[in-house]
Amino acid sequence: MNLIKDERGLATLEATLMIAVLVPLLFSILEFGAALERWLAQDAATVQAARYAGELGGDLPEVRSLLADQLRASGIDPGVTTVTIEPARVGWREPVRVSVTSEQRVAIPFLFATTLPLRSSALARGEVNR
Amino acid sequence: MSALRDDAGLAALTTIVLLPLLVVVLAGALQLGAIRVSIARVQAAADLATLIAVNDQDDAELARSGTLRLADDAADVAREYFARELELSTPLLAAAPAEIAGSADIAAFPIAPATDPRSGARYDRPAVRIDAEVPLRTPILGALAFRSVTTVRVFAMSSPR
Repeated sequence: MNLIKDERGLATLEATLMIAVLVPLLFSILEFGAALERWLAQDAATVQAARYAGELGGDLPEVRSLLADQLRASGIDPGVTTVTIEPARVGWREPVRVSVTSEQRVAIPFLFATTLPLRSSALARGEVNR
Repeated sequence: MSALRDDAGLAALTTIVLLPLLVVVLAGALQLGAIRVSIARVQAAADLATLIAVNDQDDAELARSGTLRLADDAADVAREYFARELELSTPLLAAAPAEIAGSADIAAFPIAPATDPRSGARYDRPAVRIDAEVPLRTPILGALAFRSVTTVRVFAMSSPR
């Protein structure tokens, strides 16, 4: 009976239980929020790059440079992204597609850590009459 | 009575009782974030479609009179590219891209000035406008006893410069 009535250490136990529940919840919101924000920024940069690729006529260094600048301005390291611009040379009124893929690490304390692939694509139309 | 007054373990009990509510709040926050991404994508699709359509100028008219005039198929081009752009976000949509683009209200105003009969807006330059309702998948909202499909309205308009 003495053991049952003994409340020493109970507050610590309760605090531990609450931390084990609340910290993962809080980090889930923060981590997934950051991933969604990054996805939005990557989408916007991809749209800009697609427009520019259509305007210039395909996969040119200027397009990749603009995309890298846009990604960098959004806090995304262009070095860890995969960029595809198809076709490499786009004709008048032909579609050109820009795709960007990056990975976002999501780590939730006490639960899991994983890597989410963030994929963005946009389509534009060639404006260069060759 | 002493057992009722004993508040030992109350914090732990509260946490456990509130846990489902906290999980629902988390799920709701994630779903709202996903909706925000979906809306941004759909809006970008409409914006790009109108931009592409408006770049489709009537070259003969431009060469003849120097006047910017949209090509005759500008509205069709906008619809085609709206569908193509939406195809890139198919997993987020609750209907087929072609169906969404097909039911969108797309209008071309080849000659300026023009007044949009739908919005009453006056365009001082040739313009292409898309007004569409896009159904988005919202499975978490559906699981939380709300609607599993949320329809958003997008409006995009572009004019040549």
